[in-house]
Amino acid sequence: MTRLSPDFVEEMKRYSHDTALACFNCGTCTAICPLIDEHFPRRMIRYVQIGAKDRILENAPELWKCLHCGLCTQTCPREANPGEIILGLKRMVVAHWRKS
Amino acid sequence: MYHPRDIIEAIAANLRTTRNPFGIPHFMVNRWWRKSGLTTGGDALLFTGLMYQFIPYIETSTAYLAKYEDSPLNAYLRYARYVPGYFSGLGLATITPGREKRKFDRILQDIVKLLKASGVDFGYRPELDRYSGILLYDLGDQEGFVRHARWLADRLRKAGVKKLITVDPHTTYALKELFPEYTGARFEVHPYFELLRLKGGNGRRTVALHDPCFYGRYLGLSDVPARALADLGIDCAPLDRSGAYTHCCGGPAESISPSLAVEVGRRRLDQLEATGAPIVAMCPICLGNLRKLGADVQDLSSVLAETLQ
Ligand code: SF4
Ligand code: SF4
Repeated sequence: MTRLSPDFVEEMKRYSHDTALACFNCGTCTAICPLIDEHFPRRMIRYVQIGAKDRILENAPELWKCLHCGLCTQTCPREANPGEIILGLKRMVVAHWRKS
Repeated sequence: MYHPRDIIEAIAANLRTTRNPFGIPHFMVNRWWRKSGLTTGGDALLFTGLMYQFIPYIETSTAYLAKYEDSPLNAYLRYARYVPGYFSGLGLATITPGREKRKFDRILQDIVKLLKASGVDFGYRPELDRYSGILLYDLGDQEGFVRHARWLADRLRKAGVKKLITVDPHTTYALKELFPEYTGARFEVHPYFELLRLKGGNGRRTVALHDPCFYGRYLGLSDVPARALADLGIDCAPLDRSGAYTHCCGGPAESISPSLAVEVGRRRLDQLEATGAPIVAMCPICLGNLRKLGADVQDLSSVLAETLQ
């Protein structure tokens, strides 16, 4: 079962701008992303919203497929800045690896 | 796919100890300027950020990484920090062919030619021309990036540098956007094509210009190189995916997954090839990745410099 961390959105403020809650899960970012993945990056943003830090850590290597190309950020209708959220998640995971 | 942790820690360790992400001594990487007759004075400093110089090494190292991707041998990368070999250090420097290094040095020499022909007052100081740290930023090692960026910003400030001329989109983005935010250092930064004042050319022709993500999207600069080409009689073929909506070349994935870099690059190459025009890139990463796929891609500087002959 997924363990939810209610403080995760707050924790993420250390690593990127606080925009995940603006996302309404439309999937535009996933449709435009050059990686052509069924769920990336939308699902990661969803995990941030619901505080599923464990899920992010379990799937962490997937974050590094992101090219930081910015196309998702350019096209997001809610200005949720998905590309920067992914970069923020990379930072969070690197900090986590270094601590553990 | 390699474990990002291994790649990040290897690059971070190299950057910390040698100020170079591949652990190759500075004097070996940066040799292109020796016969260029450049002086240290001038109103602006040419700052390559070493990205063009790195490409031959990246190509050699990814050729090896691609060989072992998804094989049990990729666990060896964990020891790359201690074993100078195909991933970093003098081992990598020795197995990288000189012919490849000279190809990329020529691009920088062409940029110098273009700036001189445009009457730009600039100088070069090889000891100040160091790597920006942008790869660590993109990989999420924020701490490592900020530490390195502060070191570099400090050197430039102490040397009295105010105005920089850059040659690639990644270094330009780092100096223009990231350095002010994370180091407090503000320089006047111009990609070289912004300063070109050339007219004429040798007959009209059309090219397929690939906009890199950082110029096209992050910095909104695509129309500037297109104008420099147009001034010399070279048109850009219309592309669905250009400017703010440009499609990534796939190159940034190559340290973690060479196969993903190929997959994304192939999609971009198909779009560019559909124009039927010769392909032109203006970023060392794009140039390296698209060429790796077998495409005949020229650098913007070479296309512009050809018209000076
Ligand atoms: S980040 Fe933006 S584009 Fe992606 S699902 Fe959310 S609202 Fe849609
Ligand atoms: S920034 Fe990353 S997630 Fe967004 S479109 Fe580019 S590769 Fe996909």
